[in-house]
Amino acid sequence: MFERGVRLLTGENDPYEALRRFFRFEDRVGIKINTIGGKNISTRPDVSLPLALWLGEKNVRPGNVIIWDRTNRELRDAGYRLSEDKSGPRIFGTDTDGAGYGGDLVVRGNVGSLFSTIQEDFVTASISLAILKDHGLAGVTAGMKNYFGAVHNPNKYHDSRCDPYIAEVFDTPSVKGKHRLSILDCLTVQCHKGPSFHPQWAEKYGALVLGADPVATDAVGWRIIEEIRARKGLPSLAEEQREPLYLATAEHMGLGTADPGRIEVIEENV
Amino acid sequence: MKRRQFLGSSVGTGLVLGAGLPSLCSSLAAFGEKANLSRVEARYYKKHPDRETECLLCQRRCRLSDKERGYCGVRENQGGTYYTLVYGKACSLNADPVEKKPFFHFLPGTNALSLATAGCNVNCKFCQNWQISQVRPEQVEPFDLPPASVAELAEKYRCPSVAYTYTEPVVFFEYMYDSAKEARKKGLRNLVVTGGHVEPEPLRDLIKVVDGIKIDLKAFSKSFYTEYVRGDLDTVLEAIRTVAKSKAWLEVVYLVIPTLNDSSEEIRDMSRWLRAEAGPDVPLHFSRFQPMYLLKNLPPTPVSTLEKARETALGEGLRFVYIGNVPGHDAESTFCPNCRKVIVRRTGYEVRANEIKDGKCGFCGVPIPGIWA
Repeated sequence: MFERGVRLLTGENDPYEALRRFFRFEDRVGIKINTIGGKNISTRPDVSLPLALWLGEKNVRPGNVIIWDRTNRELRDAGYRLSEDKSGPRIFGTDTDGAGYGGDLVVRGNVGSLFSTIQEDFVTASISLAILKDHGLAGVTAGMKNYFGAVHNPNKYHDSRCDPYIAEVFDTPSVKGKHRLSILDCLTVQCHKGPSFHPQWAEKYGALVLGADPVATDAVGWRIIEEIRARKGLPSLAEEQREPLYLATAEHMGLGTADPGRIEVIEENV
Repeated sequence: MKRRQFLGSSVGTGLVLGAGLPSLCSSLAAFGEKANLSRVEARYYKKHPDRETECLLCQRRCRLSDKERGYCGVRENQGGTYYTLVYGKACSLNADPVEKKPFFHFLPGTNALSLATAGCNVNCKFCQNWQISQVRPEQVEPFDLPPASVAELAEKYRCPSVAYTYTEPVVFFEYMYDSAKEARKKGLRNLVVTGGHVEPEPLRDLIKVVDGIKIDLKAFSKSFYTEYVRGDLDTVLEAIRTVAKSKAWLEVVYLVIPTLNDSSEEIRDMSRWLRAEAGPDVPLHFSRFQPMYLLKNLPPTPVSTLEKARETALGEGLRFVYIGNVPGHDAESTFCPNCRKVIVRRTGYEVRANEIKDGKCGFCGVPIPGIWA
């Protein structure tokens, strides 16, 4: 699915050439996943591991791919087996000995944070592989908000519907300068009462969304959540006054395209 | 040497505890795997359907889904129950002069056992202690210090008071409250150093177990609180009113920041309000700003600005107005409002002379408000 997705995204038939659009062989690629939701509603190992292995097969040194999140505990709780073995993808959290947060505050607009050394120092190219969820404050949590897990103080960024914080955290050298690809794990989508897991509102959607534009990818994620909500008879996020404001802010900041009319979506059943 | 080891050796050799904040983390290391978090149910919150919780401790009233944390970073919804993660988990502990808090009318010349946990419910751009206040508890290395041990340490190190300070004690309310009760059992006093972002009910409960509260009034404009504090002026003013009406001793600090909150009008309006709501005897400290954290583009406050602010406040009828963070300045000392003589002479945090006798000026006999014995 990844190979097909990246080929569709780039228009390249050769997967090696398609991947070269995003990564160089010498890159150290970080796959930032989201595991706060535990086993039920986190980025699944059966999505992230095949991605990491495929990258290692096609383009990047296997030991240069790292699957990571904030803490080892959250990774384990979401079903990951930690690994620092350089013969394959490495898996560990920012709280691993030797990692931690950088020493210098990164300031951008309303944001002042220390970044995970994994994102700041180790990786040279970054994939945001988030699970798509409704979010009581932000409206939607997807690829951009996933990078809240790269800073030491995400709790400070949930005022005013996480806006402009989501866009501003993204608009830092450690994130914007390294982000290459957004992938939304939509195999199961939490469409209501997120970000925590509630089985009655967790839809088996069975899709992956890939995008080179982080804002457009999240905007597509929003559309998916609205589709599912409408099908379930739930009010729209706008009706609940919590549509994701950060998308318009991100577009205004030049981070990508939020306007659905200007986003090309290619859908394919696999 | 890790802080925990330092504390151990200090206690063992009878040295003054701690080495001050510079001994704290200069960068945030990775303590998460060894995270030393408590799991004590919070006292002020409401349960909602779908495992949601609503914190009732401060005006933010964070409404959280399962597994989420509040703005403070130290209180977490776990399965629909709200927990404090920092109960008994001190990350800073020192025996400080009480003048450092600052309390100038509260047992001058004594030490207060001063402690903090990680976390804060605002995010001041000029925070002095952001390495412990603006982080999550996994990002510091706390030591286990249950409430009874707090009181024991205070007694052991001859501190007549315990101060809950450095970060924002409201966010470790349960720990502070229980420690205060333990301290009282031993005849010790309790001091709180807070930004005043607290709901009325917990504040009323807190006042029952503490003896002095210092509130940072960071400006007298709502826009400043929104932009530079991420807080709420009205909540802080209400807290000042509540403490002023209570039996707890109140002092107020106003950090004067060049161009942001130092206009004559703002200082005058604030002083006028404070006199009307808290009375002329509430000590007011104008403190000097130093550039740090997210506010490094402004210079330190000129001493002349502080002196002007002091003159304004005195002119509005406040009787005890001090200048802080300017060691050696005359306005560090307490002047008798009647005979004008120096009755407590201070240099920095050191008390060089104390002429208060039985709560009265040793020269003219006029009562001096405060807690003196």
